[in-house]
Amino acid sequence: MEDLAVQILKSLVSGLLMGLVFALVALGLTVVFGVMDIVNFAHGEFLMIGMYATLLTSPWLGVDPVLTLPLCGLVGAVLGLLCYYGLIRFLLRGPMIAQLFGTFGLMLFLRNLALLTMGSEPRIIHAGWLVGKSFLVGPGVVLESTKLAAAVLSVASFLAVWWLINRTRVGKALTATSLDAEGARYMGISTERMNALAWAVGGASVAVAGGLLVNFWPVEPGVGLLFTMIAFATVALGGFGSVRGAFVAGVLIGLIVNVPPVWDAMLRAIDAVGLKNLEIHSFKYTMVYAIYFLIMVIRPQGLFGWKQ
Amino acid sequence: MALLEVKQVSKHFGGLVANQEVSFTLEQHEVLGLIGPNGAGKTTLFNCIAGFYPVTSGQVLFDGRDITALRDYHIARLGLARTFQIFQASGDLKVLENVMVGAFLRTGSRRKARSAAEGCLDFLGIRAAGGNMMADLPVAAQKRVALATALASDPKLMLLDEVGAGLNKSELEGLVALLNRIHRERGVALLLTEHVLEMVMALSHRVIVLESGQKIAEGEPAEVVKNPEVIRAYLGDHYVRRREIGHA
Amino acid sequence: MEAIRNAFDFSDLPRSELIIAALALLFLLLFPVLPHSSFAMATMIQFLMFSLYGMGWNLIGGYGGQVDLGKAQYVGIGAYTTAVLMIRLDMPFWFSLPVGLALAVLWSFIIGYPLFRLKGHYFAIATIATSLVLKDLFEVWNFVGGARGLEIPLKGHLPNWLYLQFKQDYYYFYVLLAMFLVGLIYVNGFRHSRLGFQLRAIKDNENVARSLGIDAHWCKIKAYATATAFVAAVGSFHACYNFNIEPEDVMSLDLSVLIALMAMLGGAGSMWGPIIGAAILVPMKSYLGDWLGGKAGMAGLDLLLYGAIIMFIAAAQPRGLYGIVEALRVRRQR
Repeated sequence: MEDLAVQILKSLVSGLLMGLVFALVALGLTVVFGVMDIVNFAHGEFLMIGMYATLLTSPWLGVDPVLTLPLCGLVGAVLGLLCYYGLIRFLLRGPMIAQLFGTFGLMLFLRNLALLTMGSEPRIIHAGWLVGKSFLVGPGVVLESTKLAAAVLSVASFLAVWWLINRTRVGKALTATSLDAEGARYMGISTERMNALAWAVGGASVAVAGGLLVNFWPVEPGVGLLFTMIAFATVALGGFGSVRGAFVAGVLIGLIVNVPPVWDAMLRAIDAVGLKNLEIHSFKYTMVYAIYFLIMVIRPQGLFGWKQ
Repeated sequence: MALLEVKQVSKHFGGLVANQEVSFTLEQHEVLGLIGPNGAGKTTLFNCIAGFYPVTSGQVLFDGRDITALRDYHIARLGLARTFQIFQASGDLKVLENVMVGAFLRTGSRRKARSAAEGCLDFLGIRAAGGNMMADLPVAAQKRVALATALASDPKLMLLDEVGAGLNKSELEGLVALLNRIHRERGVALLLTEHVLEMVMALSHRVIVLESGQKIAEGEPAEVVKNPEVIRAYLGDHYVRRREIGHA
Repeated sequence: MEAIRNAFDFSDLPRSELIIAALALLFLLLFPVLPHSSFAMATMIQFLMFSLYGMGWNLIGGYGGQVDLGKAQYVGIGAYTTAVLMIRLDMPFWFSLPVGLALAVLWSFIIGYPLFRLKGHYFAIATIATSLVLKDLFEVWNFVGGARGLEIPLKGHLPNWLYLQFKQDYYYFYVLLAMFLVGLIYVNGFRHSRLGFQLRAIKDNENVARSLGIDAHWCKIKAYATATAFVAAVGSFHACYNFNIEPEDVMSLDLSVLIALMAMLGGAGSMWGPIIGAAILVPMKSYLGDWLGGKAGMAGLDLLLYGAIIMFIAAAQPRGLYGIVEALRVRRQR
């Protein structure tokens, strides 16, 4: 049996790294929601497309998977724009139920488009600079370079989006639109363009997250739902529309999802009768849903939220 | 016993003071006007009375009962109906059905609710519009439907928030006549806010003036308009000075 | 008494609708007698099941405007209660049906109380979360067979009315048709009831509704529980009809969404909407799936089209197909 301390340390490290990736996945959702109060059910499908983008273009272009990330971002941005101008723009005129179902239809559409063109078998990147390399940072604690790179790039993406929103003119217009769309229109801001920009930024960031994720997480057409739910939970925890909140909440959820192995180890250690077969590990995503529900009910505005 | 008694009600939003220790009473079968310039806190006071906002401090008594801590729907059941400034007419209820919702407060029977609702529509002279959608009606008729709906809930007191807003002169006159009838024939007390002063003056027995969340005057309509405080609140300092000079 | 009169009062509906409804009912009654394939019969049963699901969903989602994307958890509770009671305690269907209903409704009150503190998107996503939590729990709960689910053994000779076990599908069809008619009449009564009116007022404008003495929170919970009863009853039926239930089948998010989708496509908030939606989507899904699924490399095309249709309806006519019919009627009247 492994030492409990090592187990805990391992969980914390992998939780932190996964958490940063979750945060990046949620970033796009929170940007879109912050600007226009719309929940995108197809968010996980954007991620899936980013994953396929890296998986397919890397061998085709003959470059390392890491180098395809800018391309991923481009694909995501274009996808975001297409969705905005082709669908979301029309949904915004209708009631909320239309928005929910419209993006849900988009999710079905994209998922099955992938199924039709890519087939259903899970695929993953087998070769590349990052794959298979790892560092031993402590006794028994291993850092996989794929996850490390993903975490580092996640931080970088957050900084980029933070910079865009807080330090640029466009970002100010974006913030103005999210605070008061009508007021922003009077100030001469094209809210239509701001909405489109939000979708482009949202699409790009989540597609990049996909490009990073596919280095260590197999992609299949149905991969999106889990990440959509994780992103919803992250955004709810951080506060809908809050970029900073998404970052903190992503890390928290990463930790929550990765700590159960510790509990499993503890259960095994005390060897409780009747609990032997119960693996808390298998509940790790259930906890994400449960947390989402509890946060929404107890504190609907999230940790850093300002929108009700 | 007074029907409505507002005692020292204050409402703060964070640091912003919307109402500061406002007190007044409204007798049975009285029509009371609540006037004041934009932002004086009239709507906030309404919302506090109707239980829509919790008050920061103070007490509201309705029909001898402390309603300060009650929820809005509970207060409505006691017989205090209110109309809203902005009436959204987006839904899929027809006019008659809309009014029936009000009537359902007092009966569980569709037949009774329907006849009560038809009675109210009749009373307000819009029976013919019963089968229409709200959105298809002109503004004046929509306001009547809102009144009919509130009336169908068989209230003792109606709080009317800016019912005259957006109406032209002849429509306003029609509305005044209608409110008079509601008051006389149905015995409903009225508390109305309005910044269309003519309407308040024509209807109210008494008027209360709010400015910056505080009560600055109270009395019969004809007296209140002469009160220098009130003139200052509405028209500014220089107007009062000019009047004083003119008198001298 | 008046409630019963209300339930049978169809007089406010246009004559054209009543004629179409009567013809459709006649067709349904005669369907098993008409020549049909077993595939068509299975599709028909699916249609009736989804109509009932949709009618239930419509009570809260359509009339109440609360987009509920977690109805599958109650299908699961109904189905599992029936299955467990049949397998372990030998209880007949007619006993396990009300038990399942009661459990589901109880659960809906427990969940509904906190859920309805949320509004709009937040509510919708939270319903998904609750449903998924329950599904995950059932997948690891050995008592109900975990992810493999439960299999109901045959109980004695067929046809067995006590345990609802039949060899021929038309028995199931008529049982379900009876449930369908009861459901339809109930919905018609609901439409005329105080709760029905209050819910529609809440959907219009919750603040105005509250100012008319309506306890919006409690009204929504009541409607949610009623909707749950519909869904759980069909869940119980599903267990007997399929002999085999597993979480992925009866509690998946896809099922939840499909339920809401059919009602919304047909027209949320109208009595015929969910039935229209089911009548179009169920055959389309099953025939398209059958036709395309058989062909290599075509898997997913049916759902792809599905997604496209949903996007189109959501963008073009959020009130669904019935909304289009109504708009046409209004235009013709002018």
